[in-house]
Amino acid sequence: MTTTTHETSTTAASARGLTKTYGDGPAAVHALDGIDLDLAPGRFTAVMGPSGSGKSTLMHCLAGLDRPTDGSIVVDGTDLTRLGDDDLTRFRRDRLGFVFQAFNLLPMLTARQNIVLPIELAGRRLDATAATRLDQVVDVLGLADRLDHRPGELSGGQQQRVAIARALVGDASIVFADEPTGNLDSTASAEVLSYLRRSVRELGRTVVMVTHELDAAAYADDVVVLADGRIRSHLHAPSTDELVDALKVGA
Amino acid sequence: MRTVLIASLRAHTRRYVAAFVAVTIAVGFVVVTNALASATKAGLSQGVDDAYPASDLVVGERYGISEHDLRATLETARREGDTTSVIANGWLPVRSDDRTLGSEVTVGTVSTDDTMRRQDVTTGRAPRSDREALVDRGAAKADGIAIGDVLTLGSGPQGQEVTVVGLADSVSYLGADVYVPWPTLSRVPGAQADAVSYRVGDGAVGRRTAQLEDVVDDAQVRTRPAYVDDRVTMVNQGVDVISYLLLLFAAIAAFVAVLVIANTFTILFAQRTRDFALLRCVGATGRQVLRSVRVESFALAVVASVIGVVGGAGAGYGLTALVRAFAGPERIGAVSLSPSWLVAAFVGGVVVTWIAAWWPTRAVTRVSPLAALRPAESPGVRSRGGRVRAGLGLAVVAASTAVLVGAVTANSLPVLLVGGMASFVGVLLLGPVIVPALLRAVGRLLRRTGPSLRIASANAVRNPRRSAATTASLLVGVTLTTAVLTGMASARGAIESQMDAQHPVDVALTGETSIGAATLRQVADTRGVTAARAVNGVVATAKGLGSVPVLGPDETARRSTLDPAALHAVPGRVLVPPDVLGDLDGEVPDRLTLDVDGRRTTLPTRVVGSEWGRALVVNPATLRGLGGDPAPLAVWVQAADGTDPDTLGGDLGAVARDADLDTTNALKDRAYVDLQLDVLVYAVLGLLGIAVAIALVGIANTVGLSVLERGREHALLRALGLTRRQLRRVLAAEGLLLAVVAAVIGTVLGTAYGWLGVLTIVRTAVPDAPLVMPWTELGAVVVVAALAGLAACVLPARRAARIAPAQGLTLD
Ligand SMILES: Nc1ncnc2c1ncn2[C@@H]1O[C@H](COP(=O)(O)OP(=O)(O)OP(=O)(O)O)[C@@H](O)[C@H]1O
Ligand SMILES: [Mg+2]
Repeated sequence: MTTTTHETSTTAASARGLTKTYGDGPAAVHALDGIDLDLAPGRFTAVMGPSGSGKSTLMHCLAGLDRPTDGSIVVDGTDLTRLGDDDLTRFRRDRLGFVFQAFNLLPMLTARQNIVLPIELAGRRLDATAATRLDQVVDVLGLADRLDHRPGELSGGQQQRVAIARALVGDASIVFADEPTGNLDSTASAEVLSYLRRSVRELGRTVVMVTHELDAAAYADDVVVLADGRIRSHLHAPSTDELVDALKVGA
Repeated sequence: MRTVLIASLRAHTRRYVAAFVAVTIAVGFVVVTNALASATKAGLSQGVDDAYPASDLVVGERYGISEHDLRATLETARREGDTTSVIANGWLPVRSDDRTLGSEVTVGTVSTDDTMRRQDVTTGRAPRSDREALVDRGAAKADGIAIGDVLTLGSGPQGQEVTVVGLADSVSYLGADVYVPWPTLSRVPGAQADAVSYRVGDGAVGRRTAQLEDVVDDAQVRTRPAYVDDRVTMVNQGVDVISYLLLLFAAIAAFVAVLVIANTFTILFAQRTRDFALLRCVGATGRQVLRSVRVESFALAVVASVIGVVGGAGAGYGLTALVRAFAGPERIGAVSLSPSWLVAAFVGGVVVTWIAAWWPTRAVTRVSPLAALRPAESPGVRSRGGRVRAGLGLAVVAASTAVLVGAVTANSLPVLLVGGMASFVGVLLLGPVIVPALLRAVGRLLRRTGPSLRIASANAVRNPRRSAATTASLLVGVTLTTAVLTGMASARGAIESQMDAQHPVDVALTGETSIGAATLRQVADTRGVTAARAVNGVVATAKGLGSVPVLGPDETARRSTLDPAALHAVPGRVLVPPDVLGDLDGEVPDRLTLDVDGRRTTLPTRVVGSEWGRALVVNPATLRGLGGDPAPLAVWVQAADGTDPDTLGGDLGAVARDADLDTTNALKDRAYVDLQLDVLVYAVLGLLGIAVAIALVGIANTVGLSVLERGREHALLRALGLTRRQLRRVLAAEGLLLAVVAAVIGTVLGTAYGWLGVLTIVRTAVPDAPLVMPWTELGAVVVVAALAGLAACVLPARRAARIAPAQGLTLD
C-alpha cells in the first residue's frame, strides 16, 4: 500500500480504520476492511478496483450516505461519525454534491427544478451569487435550452450533465460521483468527464469518482485502487501504464 | 409457473395488505350484522316467551284484540273461574303531581296475579289493587319517580290516579315505562289491548278453547306455544328488515373495497410489469402469466374472506357480550350465526375481490416481452383510452343531470336514486381529469409552506389514474356523509318549523285563578327562562269539559312564542287544542257554548294541533265579549336553547304547585324528537364510517405502494439533503392532498345530492322546507378527512424514512 504524502490538515476527506461489514457470523461480508485514506482538496480522484471490491461502499461512507461499522471519517473538517441523522443530512445538503450512475433526477421535476433542489430543500431562495453561478454552470454544461424539460425528455448524457450542474450550483466542497459515465457512450462520457475536470480546475472543487473504466480514470489527477475492501494503492497523477499495472496485479 | 406463483405470493404479501384489509372489513361487517341480528332475535324471542307466564291459552289476533272479543273472553273467564291477564299498552299523557312526564308516555299492563305477572319487581312490591302501579327502573331514574308517588294517567275527567308501589326490570318485548292493572288502563281513552293471556282453572284446556272460540268473533284462541311461535316470527321479521337495511351499508363498503382492491392490483401489476415482461422473455405465454396472477388474486380473495368471516364472528360475539354487560342481559340473547349468511358473506367477499382484480389482471396479458427492456411510462389522460373515458364521463354527467332535474320535477325518489348513482359514476369517470387539476390547485395553495408540499403535490399528480382511483374510494364515503348531513340539516329545519307550530309555547303554566305578579316574577327569574308572558283569560264552563280557562293572548304574548300564527284566533272563533280534545273524548261539536259567570256565548270551534296546555284560545276582542273579568290565568314561558327540559320542568313545577297551576312542558317532546334525529344521523354516519375506513386503508395503501416504487427517488432526495422529517412530511402531505381533494369533491357532490333529496322528498311533505348548508359539519368532514388522510400515511412515511440513503440507492 502506498501512503499519501499529504498532511491531515489539508485533506478534503480522510478515513481512519474504516470498516463496513454486512451481516454477521460466518456469512458476514467485509465490504470495507480497515481503510485509511486521505484525499487532497482541489483534486480529481478516481476510485477503481474490481467489481465487489467495495468502491460504492467506500463512496457511500465517505459521503455520509451510509454508516460505517467502525472507524472514523472526517470530511471538510467535520467528523461524520459523530453527526446525528439530521445534521448529517444537512451536511450533505450544504457541503456535498452527488452524481450517480442513473436515476439521478426526480422525474416529476424539470431540469431547472432538479438543479436548484438542494437550495430549495435548505429553504433558501436562489440568491444573486447562486443565480450567477447557475447561469455560468448551465452555460458551461450546455444546458441553457434544456432547463424546462423533464428528465424523461433528456438524453442520458444530458441527464448526467444536469446532475453535475446540481452538484456544482451549491457551495459543495466535494462532489461524489459513482460511475457517472456507466450508462453513456464514449462521446457523452468524454463530455461529462471533461466537465467534472473543469469543475476541479476552474471552480476549485474536489471530485471523487468511482469508475472501472480506464479511459475515465485518465481524466483524474489521483487514482485509489481497491481490492477486497482494502486500498491496494493510491497513485498520484499516474501514467496509463502505471495505472494498468496497478490494476493488473490483483486481477 | 408454480415456483413463480409461490415466490411472488411470498414476495408480495406485504403489498396485498390493503386489499386484504378492505375485503376483511367488508366481509366481517356482514357477519357482524348477522351475529347481532341473531342475538337481538334471541333476546326478543325470549322476551315474547316470558310475556305470557303460567298461561295455557292466548286469545288475540295478529295485531291486537277487538273490544267485543276482549269482553267476551273476560266474561267467560269470570264465569268459569279462570285467571286472565290482559296484555295492553298505550301512549298516554302522564303527570306526577303538577309535573307533566310527557304527553306520550308508554303505559302497559301488569297482572295483579303473581304467577301471571311478566315483570320482575326489583324494588318495592307488585301492584295488588287497580290503583297501584309498577314503574320501569330506567324510566323511574330518568323521570325522578319514586315509590309512593301518585301518577295521573290521561287527562281531564277520565284521568286515572295510581300510586307507584314498585320498580321493575325493563322488558324487551311490549315494554313500557309505567305498568298498571288492565281495569285501570281500560278506563283511559287511547289504550289498546293486544291479547289476553288465559289460564284454565280446571285444566280442561280443550273444552275451554272450544267455548272461547264460540264467543269471540275474529280473535284466534291458541295454545301458548303456538301463539308465542307466531309472535316470534312476527317480531323477527322486523329485525330482518333492519339487517337487510344494514346490508345496504355493507354493499357501500363492498363497493369501496372494490375500488381499493382494483387500485391495489393496478399499482402492483404496474410495478411488476418488468417481472411479467421478463417471464414473457424467457418463454411464458400470455395465458400462463394471466393464470398465475388470477390464482394469486383468488388466493388473496379466499384467505381474506375466511379471515373476514372468522373475525366478523368474533367481533359479533364480542359486541354481544359488551351489550349484555352494559345494557343488561334482557336486551340481547345468544348469537346464532346463520350458515347461509356466512356462506353468502364468504362467497360475496371472494366474488368482490375477483371482480375487482379482473380488469387489472387482464392488463397483464397485454404486457409485451419488450416492456422488460424499456422503462414503462405511466398512462396519462392524453392517451386514447383516457380521452374516451373522459368523454364518456362528460356524457354520463350531462345525461344524469337531466335525469336529476326530472326527478325533482316529478318528485320521484327512484328516479333520483338512479340519476344520483349515474352522475356519481360519471364523476368517477372524469376523475383522472378533475382530480389532478384539483391536486395541482390545492398544492399551489399550500406550496408556500415549503419544498415538502411542492414535491408532494408533484408526486400526487404523477399518475392521474392512480390518484383518481385512490380519491374515488374516499369520495364515496364523503359524498354519502355530506349528503346525509345536508339532507338531514334541511329536513331538521322543516321538522323544526312543524314542531314550532305544534309546540308554540315551551312551557305553559295554566290555572283557573288569577296569577299574581310575584308568581310571574318567580317564573321569569327561573334559570333558563328567556321570556315569561302572562296571558289574560276567563274561566268558563262548557258541556263535556267542566270548567276550562279561555285565554285571549294579545299581540305581545303571541309574539314571544315560536309560532305566533298558531296562536292567532279569528275574532268570534275558539281554538280547541289536543289537551282539551282529549276531554271531549275526541268528538268536537261544531259550536261550543261557553258559560262565564252565567253569561252564555256560542262560538264556532276550530280544532288545532298546537299545544299550550288545557285551555281554549280566542281572540282578545272575543274574550272581552265573553263577560267575566279577564285576569292572568296562564304564563307562557320560552326557554333558552339547550336548557335541560327536566330541570326547567322541575323548577317551574315547584312554582306551579305553590300557585295551583298545571304545567305543560313541550321541551321534553322536542328533546325527544331531536334525540331521534341525532340517533338517526349518527347511526347512518357510523355505518358509513366503515366505507370511510376502507377508503383510508386504500389511501395508506396507495402511498405505501408508491413509497416502495419510489425508493430510489427518496434515497436520492435524502442524499441531496432532505431530512427524515422532511421526507415523512412529503409523504404525509401526499396523503393529505389526496384526502383533501376527495373531501372537497365529495362535499360539493354530497351537498348537491342532499339538496336534491330535500327538493324531491322533503318538499313534497313540507313545501317551504329550507335548503340548509350545515357549514360546521361540512367543515368538520373536510378537516376529519384531511387528518385521516394524514394519519393513514404515518406508517408508510415512517417506513420510507427509516431506510438509509445508501440502501435506497441500490434498490431496484
Ligand atoms: N446491502 C448489502 N448487503 C450485503 N452485502 C452487500 C450489500 N451491499 C454491498 N454488499 C457487498 O459488499 C461488497 C462491496 O460492494 P460494493 O457495492 O461496494 O462493490 P463495488 O466495488 O461498487 O462493485 P461494482 O463495481 O460491481 O459496483 C460486495 O461483495 C457486495 O456483495
Ligand atoms: Mg458499485
